Order: sequence, then C-alpha cells, then structure tokens
Amino acid sequence: MSKKFPIRILPLTEWLRRNLTIIGPIFAVAAVVLGFQLINPFFLSYDGIITLVYAMSYFLIAACGLTFVIMTGSFDFSVVSLLKLAALLCVLYIDRVGFWVVPLALMFTTGFGLINGLLVAKFRVPSFMATLGISIVVDGIALYLSRGHLYVVNNETFRALSTTFIVGLPSIFYWAIGIWLLISFLALLTPFGRRTYALGGNPIGASLSGIDVVKQRIYVFLLSGFLAGLAGVLYMAQMGGGSISIGADMPIPLFASVVAGGTALTGGVGGPHRTLMGVIIITWIQAGLSMLAVGRDTQMIVFGLIALVMSIATMDRRRIKSVK
Amino acid sequence: MVLALLFFVLLFSVLYPERFLTPLNFSTILRQFITLTLFALGPSFVVVMGSLDLSYVGIWMLGGILTWLLIPAVGQWAILVFPLLGLVTGFVVGVTQVRARIPSFILTLSLLIVYWGLTATLSGGYPRPVKGYEWINRPLIPYIPTPVLWSLPLMAVAVFLIKYTKIGVHLYAIGSNEEGAKLAGINVHRHKVLTFTLSGLFTGIGSVILFQHLGGATPVELNLNNVVWPLVAIVLGGTPLVGGSGGPQRTILGALTFSVVYRGLYLSLLHPEVIQLLVGLMLIVAIVIGSRGLREVVVT
Amino acid sequence: MAPSEPNVPLLEARGISKTFNGVVRALDRVTILVRRGEIVGVVGENGAGKSTLMKILVGVYAPDEGELFYQERKIPFPRNPREAAKRGLSIVYQEKGSIPHLQVYQFLFLGHEDKYEKFMRLQTRQMKKQAEEVLREFHIDCDVEALMGDLPLSLQKMVEIARAILTVRLEAGSNHLMPIIILDEPTAPLTIEERERLFQDLLPMKSNASFIFVSHIIPEVMKFADRIYVLREGRLVGHYDLSAERITEEDLFRAIVGRGSSEYLGKPVVTEQVGGEAILSAVRLTRNGCYYEVSLDLHRGECIGLFGPAGSGKSEIIRTLGGLLSFEEGSLAIKGQLVRPEESPPDRLRRGIGYFSGETGKELFLNWPIAKNISIVNIEKVLRKVLPIIDFGAEKRLAERVVRMLRIRTPGVYVDCYSLSGGNKQKVSVGRWLERSPEILLLEDPTVGIDVGAREDIYDALLEMKRQGLAMILVSDDPKEYSILCDRVLFIRAGKIWESMSIEEFRKTMVM
Repeated sequence: MSKKFPIRILPLTEWLRRNLTIIGPIFAVAAVVLGFQLINPFFLSYDGIITLVYAMSYFLIAACGLTFVIMTGSFDFSVVSLLKLAALLCVLYIDRVGFWVVPLALMFTTGFGLINGLLVAKFRVPSFMATLGISIVVDGIALYLSRGHLYVVNNETFRALSTTFIVGLPSIFYWAIGIWLLISFLALLTPFGRRTYALGGNPIGASLSGIDVVKQRIYVFLLSGFLAGLAGVLYMAQMGGGSISIGADMPIPLFASVVAGGTALTGGVGGPHRTLMGVIIITWIQAGLSMLAVGRDTQMIVFGLIALVMSIATMDRRRIKSVK
Repeated sequence: MVLALLFFVLLFSVLYPERFLTPLNFSTILRQFITLTLFALGPSFVVVMGSLDLSYVGIWMLGGILTWLLIPAVGQWAILVFPLLGLVTGFVVGVTQVRARIPSFILTLSLLIVYWGLTATLSGGYPRPVKGYEWINRPLIPYIPTPVLWSLPLMAVAVFLIKYTKIGVHLYAIGSNEEGAKLAGINVHRHKVLTFTLSGLFTGIGSVILFQHLGGATPVELNLNNVVWPLVAIVLGGTPLVGGSGGPQRTILGALTFSVVYRGLYLSLLHPEVIQLLVGLMLIVAIVIGSRGLREVVVT
Repeated sequence: MAPSEPNVPLLEARGISKTFNGVVRALDRVTILVRRGEIVGVVGENGAGKSTLMKILVGVYAPDEGELFYQERKIPFPRNPREAAKRGLSIVYQEKGSIPHLQVYQFLFLGHEDKYEKFMRLQTRQMKKQAEEVLREFHIDCDVEALMGDLPLSLQKMVEIARAILTVRLEAGSNHLMPIIILDEPTAPLTIEERERLFQDLLPMKSNASFIFVSHIIPEVMKFADRIYVLREGRLVGHYDLSAERITEEDLFRAIVGRGSSEYLGKPVVTEQVGGEAILSAVRLTRNGCYYEVSLDLHRGECIGLFGPAGSGKSEIIRTLGGLLSFEEGSLAIKGQLVRPEESPPDRLRRGIGYFSGETGKELFLNWPIAKNISIVNIEKVLRKVLPIIDFGAEKRLAERVVRMLRIRTPGVYVDCYSLSGGNKQKVSVGRWLERSPEILLLEDPTVGIDVGAREDIYDALLEMKRQGLAMILVSDDPKEYSILCDRVLFIRAGKIWESMSIEEFRKTMVM
C-alpha cells in the first residue's frame, strides 16, 4: 500500500464500471429511440412526441416521490393507489366543490403519506407491508366512492390545468419538468436532501450525526403521498375521465423507472435527477412496444425483468451483512 | 389467535344465524380456506426462517400451462409436473439465495415474473382449459369440498415437520438468530436450500389439489392481489415476517380466521368496497401488532 | 466425574504463533496451560491476541507454529469446532450466542438432536427430562420450557455455558472427559449485579469443567481465576499464580498496558488553566447497574480523563454525558442549564456537546466523499446566505480546513471514504466534530486501532482546539493518551469515582 496516495488512479475500465449506472441509462435511451424510430418513422413525429409527453408527465411526478422513499431504503407500494384516489376524488367532486377538489385530494393523499410514515418510523412496520396494507385500504375507499363506474370531467378550467398548449407542448409537461427540477434541487442542494441520502446510506450513522431519523422518514413518506396526489390530479385533468381501473398498469413500470434511473433499493444513492432517465426509458419503451402491438402482459414481463436486473445491479452488496 | 377465530365465528353466528350457520356457508368458507392455505403452507416455512417466498403463484401458473402441454404426451400423469416444478423451483431459489446472496424477496418476486412470462409465452396469452382431472373434485363427504380432504394429510405433514422434528427447531433458530445458529454448529446454508425446496414442493402438491377447484384452466393474468392474500394469512396467523416463531400451524389458523371473517362480512351485505377496506385495516392492525418486537431492528 | 488430582495438567498449548496476511503478527510463541478444575484467566487489551488464541484452540484458525498437548500427550490441533468439542474444548461467545426464540431444552440440545430422534420425530419428553437433569447438575435454576429470550441475561449465559459443556459430552461421547470451556468476555453485556450472579453460579461448576476466562475486566478476573496469563501485542508478558503470589489490580493493569517511562508518556503539555464557572457540572449522577454518585466539574479549556479498567463504568458515564444513555438520579447542568435525563444526542448537540467514539464505520458514510461527511454534521456552516441551500464552495473550504488541521492523507476532499486507510477515516470522523466546534467534546476511545502517526496528528489538532477553549472528557484504554491530553484524571472503579489526581501525579503513578 503506497504511503503517498491512499487510492490509485482509475483505469478506463474501472471508471466505466463505476459509472455504469449513469452511462447505462443514457445508452439505453439512445438505443431505444433509435430502434423505434427505425421501425416506425412516425415515432418521432409531432403527434408521436405528444403522445409520449402525455404518457411521461404524470408518471414522472409520481416517480419523483417514490424515488425519495427508495432513497431512504424503504418501499412505497401505495403511490399508485393514492394517485388513483386523487384522480377519482377530482372527477367525483369537482361538480360540487369546484376547484377545491384539488387541495382536498392533495390533503387526503398527503394524510395517507403521513400514516405510512408513522407506521414505518414510529411503529417499526416493514415498509413494504405497511404501504401494501395502506394501498389495500385506499383501493377500498376508491372502490367505495366510485362504485366501479366510469366518470367524465365536464369542467373545462380544470382540464386546462394539463392540456393548455404552450410552445407546442401541453401544460402538464411543464408541470412535470418543473416539479422534477424542484425535487432534484431538493435532493441535491438542500440539507433535507442530504439528510435523506444519509438516512438511506447509513441509518445508524445518520442518527449519530444528529439527524432525527424518525422525522426524516415521515417527511419522506409525506412527500411521496403529496406527489402521488399531485400526479393523480394532473392525470385526471389530462385524461378527462376514468374509473377504478386507473393506474392498473402502473406499479411495475413505476418501480422499474426508479431503479432504472440508478436509485438503488439499498438506499443512499441515486435520486430524482436520475429518475428522469428511468422514466424516459420506461415510458418510451412502453410506447414503442404498444406500437409493435406487444400484448400488455408481455409488456409487464419486460418491465418486471428490467426492474429486477436494475435492482440487482444497483444494490450495494457491501452493505448487506446477512442476506435473508 | 384461536380466541379471535372463535370470537368471529360466534359473532357472525349471532348476527346472521340463518345465513352463517348453514352447511353451504361452511362449504364456501372451507373453499376459500384451502385456497389460501395450500399456497401459504410452503412459504410459511420460509418465513419462519426469516426469508420470504413469493413464487407460489408462479409455480401455479407455469405448472398449469406445462400440464396442458404435456397431456397429449403422457396423459393424466402430466399433472405430476406441479410437484416436480415446485421442487426444482425451490431448489434453484435456495441455491441462488445462498450462493449469490440475493435477498429472497427480490429473488422470488423476479422468479414469479419470469414464470409469468413463460406462461404467457407458452399459452399464447389465452387461458387453456384442461380436461381430465375432475375426479379430484368428486364429492365424497357432503358439504365438505373434496380438496379439503386431500389437503388434510399435507397440513398434517407440515405441522409435524415444524413442531416435532429437529428441522423445525433449526428453522426457528435460524430465524431467531442466524449468527447464533451458525455458531451453534447448524449448517445454515443447507437448511436454507432445504427450506426453499420444501416450500416449492408443498406449493406444487397444493396446486395439484387446487387444480380443478380453481377452474381447471390455466390462468394468464397476474393480479398482484393474488400474491398478497396468502401472505395475509401468514401474517394474520401470527408468524412474524422476521421469523423465529409461528409457522404453518399458525398459518392454517390465520387462513381459517380470514376466510370466516371475509365470508361473514360478505354476508352482511356491506358494499364489497367496504369489505375490502375493512380487510385492509385488519391487515394493518395485524401487522402492527406483529411488529411489536422489533425494537433494535432497523426497519426500512 | 470427580477429578483425581487438582494439579494434573489437562491442556497445554505451547509456542503458538499466528500471522495474518504475512504482516500482522497476532500471536508470537504463546504458551498456556490449563489444569483440571481450574479457572484460568487470559487478559489483555483489544488486539492483544486473546481471541485469536481462543479461535485456534477451538479450531476456527490453524496456527503457524505450535504444539498442543492433552494430558501431556501430543495431539493435533482441531480443524473445526466439532473436532475441538470431541477433545473437550468448547467456547461461549461474547454475544449472539443465545437464541431468544428457542426454549431452554431446545437450545441445550441444538445441533445434537439426532440422539433423540426416532423416525424423524423428536422425543421431547426425554429431552426435557435430560435437560432438567443437566440444569440440576449445574445448579441452574430455571424452567426447561422457558424461552431463552425471557430469561435474564446472566441466566442465559449460564445456559450457554451448560450447553457448551453438554456439547463436549455429546461430541466426545462420554462423560469422563473434562471439558475446557472458553468464556469469551462473558460479562460484557451484563450489569454489575448480573455479573455477581454469574460468578456465584460459575464457581460450583469447577468440579465439572475447567474454564478459560478471557476478559479485560481486571477485578473480576482477579476474583475468580486461579491463574492469570497476560497478553500484550501477541506476546505472553505475564503469568501469575494467584494462590501463590499477592498481586494488586494495579500490577496487573500495568502488565497489560505496559510499563512506561517519562518518554513513553510524552511531553508534558502546558495548559493555561481557564478558571471560572464550570461549563459542565454533574452532581451525583446515578444509573443503577452502571455508575453511582458521579460528580464532576468541567471548565473551558480543560480536559478531564475518566480512567479505569473495562467494566468500571467509565464508558457508561461518558455516554450518559453524551446523551446516549439516560441517568436515573442526580443532575447534570450544561452552561448553567439543567439537562433532562431523556434528552438525546441531537439535543446535546444543540447544547454544544459533541460525542465521538472510536468505532468508525458506524458514523461515517463510507460511500460519500470526505467533504460530504464533514458537512453533514456542520450543515449550518455550508449554507448560502439567501436561501437554505448548500454552498459547495463553502463545503470544499470547510473540508480542506479539516484536512489541513488533521493532516489527512488524501489527494482531495472529494475522495470517497471507502478508500481511505483506517487512520485517515478516523481523522475524518474526528474532524467533523472538531469543526462543529462544540464547546465540549466527549471522546471515547478516539484513537483505538490506528497507527502512531495518525494519532499524533489527532492529538495535535485536539490540543490546538483545547488552547482555543475546547473542554474535553476522555475515556480510553491508553494511559499515554490521558497523559498527553488531560489536565486531571479521575479514577473510576465499580461505577464510583475513587480518586482525583492532577496529570503530574497521574504520570508518576503510571511510571515504573
């Protein structure tokens, strides 16, 4: 071991391996886009891009929230259910309370986020179980409220939230990018973000460094709930209608996009800025596969495998002592 | 837990005597009961050890389509593919878990997805009806679904293994303190492989029993909820997810309680949505109570 | 099972040497002897080689040199714990030995159930009866059906010891082999009262087994061992027969840490005694089972050392001051304000107290660069003026300051901590706290296990901060550290302060 420098200068292959989780997604996006464009020249047409943007935007917002939770080493299975709940609340009650549905829906989903946070941080329930339970409850509420019917939004102002076109792109796109920027900013540049990374990277060390672990976890789940609700509201504004089947296809691709972006399940690495990559890859692959008339089930399998491979690739093996 | 079960039975008997205390009702409850149990029995062993096994639905689906494919070739014997598949699956999972040190949750979940993919590919996306196994369901004792009778020996074996053999003791030890078990001389790796294999085998056999019961056709839809309910039975029965106590005997109780409660709520003519809500709440309460002993564990 | 002559040598390990990786000399020609019905103590600092020696005896490691004799006949070293058990050697580990969810009889026979199997079915009735007999034989008073996790810790340890003896009997296949049970720091997790109980229960067992008692808690070893071996840095530096010689604890302590001269203990540090009010004042702090009636006053620019052997309570005292443990009686005041017992480390930080322990890896975020590790503890210092966001320039400057102050060897402040050497990691750990510039810094084993050069750098930085007014409390196993840093030393024993002496008096006591 050299006395002068404790580390060695990295050769190229080493550097590549280390930064794989950043380079990989970029290559993947390029490959995907190129591939599909070759198959169908209309892929990158104006209409094609608009479709992609619509598919991507609400997805990105929800994924940002989920990213924060995964950064702390937890899971949040309730994101999709909360999204669904928020969307349904909007369509069901907009006629009665007007625009107040929006803060109402957000309040509800954030409230559930709080419950998630309390269950995990205070009651020490494993996160995947707690959020799974909450998602069952939320689904039940959604089912109850909607009775399984299909509903349509008649309020033009509400729909304008997502569908107003500015410089050729729908407003939901700007919402999504704006939120993505804000959340990435939060993660990378604020003490809150640092604390989140710390919590995921070394929970004991975080506590010893003076971080209130319980509060931090709760905040993270609150954020996830809030963003899920926001995504749901904007989704409803975009779609204009929906039923209990909203988001039925979302859980696997959502999870896949977070890990594909490079945020590891072990926590402490990655972040919302990386999730953009993952969302782009997944939604564009999804669009492309649909274009190729690949069945929904097969699509799920593809995303499941992507999620699996990326989870294992990003896992920090050094930190797992006994594998269960 | 037995008390809770009795409580619910009494409650529903009192509330809806005409509809609850009928033989038909018990039949229905038993049907749901064995569906849950036969999928949850094998994984119960794994959970006692502290790991998770989510592959059961996968074995069920892939086994079904393989049976359909093999019938023209080997006739009725084709159904033996289930236990075989279960055995092989469990073994592969166990060895991979031990060698590659991949957490069992991710490993079995991904296996589930892979099996689902294979099922979809082999079946072309359509459910395939399989004939020739109706005899499994042939009514023997009135009001007791025959699959229940078939499953009794399986449950007996499971309970025997966990309570009366050294394997049971070793599993509790590993779940309670894996390092301590290793220091005490227990070959933890061997036990892990064995337990996963066992889990797969139980699921495989259970799938045979349930084959006709669940429609006699191979499913192609993966509903994540189907994966959840057996886990609910395990948790409800009192086997903590961190292992060390509980086991198949608890799961049986949990599945029975769940079936009773579910049926009872159904009879109450509450909206199905409300029922789902209540079930979800029940699950959460059960989990919170079950997570009580986790003080020093850093929960993620 | 009666031993014939108490002086019959049972096991002798001669000339054991073991080197790891060709560099670290863990053991250097160590010889120990155990006789029938004896309790032999093996003491030494952390890293002295005690656990390596034990692991060789039970077959976990193979020695590079050495011979093993059983009843004066040469035998090969056991290649694994099972073989060791066949020869009578069994070990009870310091922690993680007990399995909380198992019942006592299940635990006793864990791994040996094949003797009680019939067609795969366990004969639990027989096992329970056997277990009851075993417990009776060892005078252990508990229910065979109780869960291990429900028993008090000392009882759990006793059951573990019984299991170790049982393991030997079952593996060797006979009751005539006298087991040699190695107890690896058995009292570490126990309270003072539980330790008493353990030893009371242990003494009657001398007729059933010989014991090797590995520890660094001197009073206990002296009380219960018949003979004591002292290891230091892999070598046998002392062998005392307590029935033949009269030894004091101080003699033993000096043998463990090494005798010193004035040069060894470093240059005296000139401190300007800053008087005035106490910045930290403890009045009769008590925590049952750990420490009693501890009172001390700490002033700005002063460093007090809490000195004593392991198990004396010094660690618990400093952790209480740091907010990791709570106190049950007494009062604690910081800068004149009373502290509530339930306050935790973040509260302490707010009051200006930092706590630093020498075990890195728990504290540091190893996959983060140095700069981030330092800034996470000092977040307020790296925020921009206008918005509460991180100022990377300030972060870099802060880290560079720390690197300079502690002479951390790294090409830059954005290097991941994974790749730093142990000593440099420790420096980063200390550095974060120094920058936090608490007014009071509590140090527990701050330089454990790191090389001399790094130690010197850390001492220099600490002394510089001390000159600027930092008050410190030190707990350590190294007298030299106290000598360099402290103005006053309090001797702690069995949870109480026995004596308070100035640093000059301390140095005199420590020198041969």
